[in-house]
Amino acid sequence: MEPKPKFKAVGQPLRRKEDERLITGRGQFTDDFSLPGQVYAVMVRSPHPHATILGIDPAPALEMPGVLGVFTGDDLAADNWGQLPHNPVPSTKYDVKLTGRGGTPVYIGEHYLLPRDRVRHVGEAVAMVVAETRQQAQTAAEMVMVDYDPLPWVADTQAAAEPDAPRLWDALPDNVLVDSIFGDIENTDAAFAKAKHVVDMHYHLGRVTGVPLEPRASLGHYDPQTDRYTLYAGSGGAVRQKHEHAAVMGVNPDQVRVISFDVGGNFGTRNRAFVEFGLVMYGSKKLGRPVKFRADRSEAFLTDYQGRDLVVDISLAIDENGKFLALRSKNLSNVGSRCVSLSPLSKGSGLITGSYDIPYATLHSRAVYSNTMSTQAYRSSGRPEVCFAIERLIDKAARQLGYDRVDLRRRNLVSPEQMPYTNAVGSEYDSGEYEKNMDRLLELGDFVGAPARKAEAIKRGKLYGIGFSNYVESSIGSPKERADLIIRPNGVEVIIGTQPAGQGHETSFAQVTADLLGVTFDQVTITLGDTDVVTAGGGTHSGRSMRHASAVISLAVTDMIAKGRAIAAEALNVDGGQVEYEDGVFRTNATNRTIDWFELSRLAASLSPDHAGGLKVRRDNEMHTPVFPNGSAMCEIEIDPETGSLEIMRYTTVDDVGRCINPMIVHGQTHGGIAQGVGQALWEACVIDPETGQPLAAAFTEYGMPRFDNMPSFLCEIAEVLSPTNPLGVKAGGEGGTTPAPAVMISALEDALLEYGPPDVAMPFTPLKIWSEIQKGKAIAATKQQGAA
Amino acid sequence: MALISMTVNGVQVSQEVDDSTLLIEFLREKLKLTGTHMGCDTTQCGCCVVHIDGVSAKSCTVLVGQAAGRSVTTIEGLAKGGELHPLQKAFREHHALQCGFCTPGQIMAGAELIATYPGELNEHVVREEMEGNLCRCTGYHNIVRAILAAGAEIRGTKITDPTLASHSVEG
Amino acid sequence: MYPFTYHRPKTIAEAQQAFSEGMDATFLSGGHTLLPTLKQRLAAPSDLIDVTGIPEMQGIEEAGGFLKIGAATTHDTVFASPIVRRLIPALSGLAGSIGDRHVRHRGTIGGSTANNDPSADYPSAVLGLGATVITDRREMASDDFFVGLYETAREPGEIVTRIDFPVPDIACYAKFRSPASRYSIVAVFVSKTGSAVRVAVTGAGASGVFRLPEFEEALSADFRPEAIAHLTVDPDMLLSDMSATAEYRADLIRVMARRAVEKPGQIQSFK
Repeated sequence: MEPKPKFKAVGQPLRRKEDERLITGRGQFTDDFSLPGQVYAVMVRSPHPHATILGIDPAPALEMPGVLGVFTGDDLAADNWGQLPHNPVPSTKYDVKLTGRGGTPVYIGEHYLLPRDRVRHVGEAVAMVVAETRQQAQTAAEMVMVDYDPLPWVADTQAAAEPDAPRLWDALPDNVLVDSIFGDIENTDAAFAKAKHVVDMHYHLGRVTGVPLEPRASLGHYDPQTDRYTLYAGSGGAVRQKHEHAAVMGVNPDQVRVISFDVGGNFGTRNRAFVEFGLVMYGSKKLGRPVKFRADRSEAFLTDYQGRDLVVDISLAIDENGKFLALRSKNLSNVGSRCVSLSPLSKGSGLITGSYDIPYATLHSRAVYSNTMSTQAYRSSGRPEVCFAIERLIDKAARQLGYDRVDLRRRNLVSPEQMPYTNAVGSEYDSGEYEKNMDRLLELGDFVGAPARKAEAIKRGKLYGIGFSNYVESSIGSPKERADLIIRPNGVEVIIGTQPAGQGHETSFAQVTADLLGVTFDQVTITLGDTDVVTAGGGTHSGRSMRHASAVISLAVTDMIAKGRAIAAEALNVDGGQVEYEDGVFRTNATNRTIDWFELSRLAASLSPDHAGGLKVRRDNEMHTPVFPNGSAMCEIEIDPETGSLEIMRYTTVDDVGRCINPMIVHGQTHGGIAQGVGQALWEACVIDPETGQPLAAAFTEYGMPRFDNMPSFLCEIAEVLSPTNPLGVKAGGEGGTTPAPAVMISALEDALLEYGPPDVAMPFTPLKIWSEIQKGKAIAATKQQGAA
Repeated sequence: MALISMTVNGVQVSQEVDDSTLLIEFLREKLKLTGTHMGCDTTQCGCCVVHIDGVSAKSCTVLVGQAAGRSVTTIEGLAKGGELHPLQKAFREHHALQCGFCTPGQIMAGAELIATYPGELNEHVVREEMEGNLCRCTGYHNIVRAILAAGAEIRGTKITDPTLASHSVEG
Repeated sequence: MYPFTYHRPKTIAEAQQAFSEGMDATFLSGGHTLLPTLKQRLAAPSDLIDVTGIPEMQGIEEAGGFLKIGAATTHDTVFASPIVRRLIPALSGLAGSIGDRHVRHRGTIGGSTANNDPSADYPSAVLGLGATVITDRREMASDDFFVGLYETAREPGEIVTRIDFPVPDIACYAKFRSPASRYSIVAVFVSKTGSAVRVAVTGAGASGVFRLPEFEEALSADFRPEAIAHLTVDPDMLLSDMSATAEYRADLIRVMARRAVEKPGQIQSFK
């Protein structure tokens, strides 16, 4: 064991290394790159939710000015370009095991870059037009004649699961691709049979999209001299993209270089390959020119991977003392037209019992195809959905059975003494002080002062509501990560395969590296995002990056110290055993001489040409054990009962993120996470017209967003209960803001609207929806009054 | 096609461009000033905000001809003489950016707000006046603080509310 | 956008000439409705004639009991104008409530009025104040000017050059904005001059901006919120979309009208 590092940088709100370029306009986002001779691609997209492609006639488009080529699925097939290898079933040891019916393999619909048989959602690309200018390509795209034969379609999640629903894939008897049952059926049934109370709920947590502000873009270049493809494309992990595109093209991954420097937002929706990434490389190979694509915002709304969309039927068995006995849940996830990821269903499945000690549970997890854009793991994939289910159900139980909603929770929270705690579906919660979080939150948010604030709001003619939620979530993610640690005479470089989109890896990883090596923060640089430099890595998703990076950097540092000790011995001309290392310095009892890392690097270069480029360590790590960030959140709202207008007055959180490397960054993650969760509760929805199957939210004028003037300032506190599962005790800080937010908001809304009866919980709660609930409540009250009279 | 001249970040530029060229396209594609970003097509997101004769504008909704003869400032031209604008510094200090894509527009909008808003800047004013700039990462909390901090510095005023003075509340 | 030719005339005569020479020319003012439409390739004019460089279309003045605002005056200029604030503070407030500050720096009163977008703010003030729309060839009463959705009595090539607002005793404005688009889903402009009251509604009408005679009558008799508390609005002629049903709009019209009258001389924006 090496001595424990002294934390100097870790835990400090150090300002970010990324910021200087980004505040001066020198960021390197995908569309900022241009290559000599580049030309522009525009997609021809399906106007139908479901249709057979009878034929595509490119001839009129090819005659348009500036047009260089029109490419279809037939062209790609003729060149043997294959499918995107999505690999959607989460596969670490700790992920729940999703299967098709009766344990069969999950049927993954084919996903070629351009379809040849049918289109399966509005906006699906069917052809690519490349021209000298973007404007020319746009005009020509309107001239590509696609002959469609429209087919029956289904977009709604529940409707898609019906046996007679229009089918997306001929190889499946219906649209259900996952059908798995987990948990202890016998004991769950027994617990329900003897329970004093059973409370149940049905809800649909709807479809939203990630809306990174950088529209997705790609720039492809094929070099015939080297037979290599270069792709500039922002994503959640360049290494994954490299391998997936190489698989599509049927080439060796070494023939593909992917560059992903600054990424303008991801939130999960950029973690899978988009067809346009492969297509620009195809265009470049065919035309001998670099090809650029940039999605319009409307294309982004229609064809960025989307999130959520889960239907839940949940019931809870409760005894006479308010103790939870068992839980049953049926979860139905809408994967869209192609199965890109089952992470949302899987992640949620492992957490259906939430922060509570519920001895038995059964879960029926299903996934369906539908004529919609595919869903992917969107911020806190799967967890806001199941957090919403258990927390709303507890509020309902408290109301129905006459419990105080905080008290009912307190009776059932998993206690620190139970940690590590294995929940009823087998997830092992690593650590946490759930009740302490809850109590701290109530204090921080001045829960006892709420009645006075309510009275004051009512005096102003407002409805007032206070919402509350605990949460536990899981951080698993791709289990492998690699770090190259290089110490040169002038500084330390870490090359790593995560891919930030604003999370500040260049800063927080440098903090960890600096402390582990005993050097200063300023001496460390982090290199990311170019697969010619970054050779392996799992990318950024599922809150994995800080934990995986700190673990693999720790191991690399341990290796480096061993390596350093040997070199120091050689330089000091003593035995390896006589060299001591502490806090960045090697020394020996034999002399007063000390050597720090930078001098060692200089000396090493003189000792051996192997060290000419610096002291180098490459370390791979595989870490499957998940961690379980957790916390509590509350908010207070006021509603104008005449208009349905809602204002968030306070929003307070306590989040256990494990060891917090940089509190400034973690708070920032929490703030943004809250906004996305609140956005889903109040404004955001990928609405599809039930008559036509057309998406109705294709612009910011139609898709309501969190904005400066509809968000409050937040009061956030970090709790650090170190995780025993990894060297630094890191959990995760990126998703805790989002996980409880829909539950908290709807809890507050229910509270505010109590006098009008429990509202229908379908989100988003726009002013129209709130007004409608109030009118409904008034009408019911009026009918009752009439009946009474 | 027309020969378009204007001053960009203090430098006189002239280029032959199509009449249908947008100011943002002129800046990014002709002048290679890629700090100004295109985030939407509907004049909603504010990633493309620049100053035209000192007044903020969404450069995705300005034709290059409409800016001809004017003086345009982009994020690349905001720092003066190697010294960052106080709002640029405040964005870093208050962690008012994450991915950084909306940041140039936020800074250009905020800088113009601080320079031209006639009344006192407070949280309410900043939130109302900045509504035309979307951010998906920060939840706006820290951007509000950065603008108030730079505003106080530039205007020589003080922020009295302690919850607005720091980048976040530490536990 | 499809290709077009851009013109920047210095006089109205030059603008007229450019229009007559274009195959399918259109006028451009602030461009904040037109350019997004062109970017979405929903229109393909041959020529765009930018009228913001014509001096006589700029400026704000008080003359003969009227507040006269040049058509190419930006929302921000109207908002900040001391003359407007003094004569019709609600109009200044309305201008300051349009879109966001960047939009207000570019968009113009004439462009907004001539476009007659059903959710634009200005048509409600033009109609609600009984303004006169001055063009390069005639003067039109606001009651005759607004014809339907995106439609006005303008003839092809006719340029709105100025809007003359009679100065009322009092005016007020209350609007409710869509959480997504930020346009008004209902906005009500009320003005009172002597005993005459005008109430104009924007954001809600299936044929664009319209007046509410029943509300006007009630307020003419008694200019207090209580006078209209019992009135309702028929949802039949109202827009219905994702952010607001016709029934919701009808109810909001009632609420916004009352709130407007509750605070005479002011503008209130709800969301």
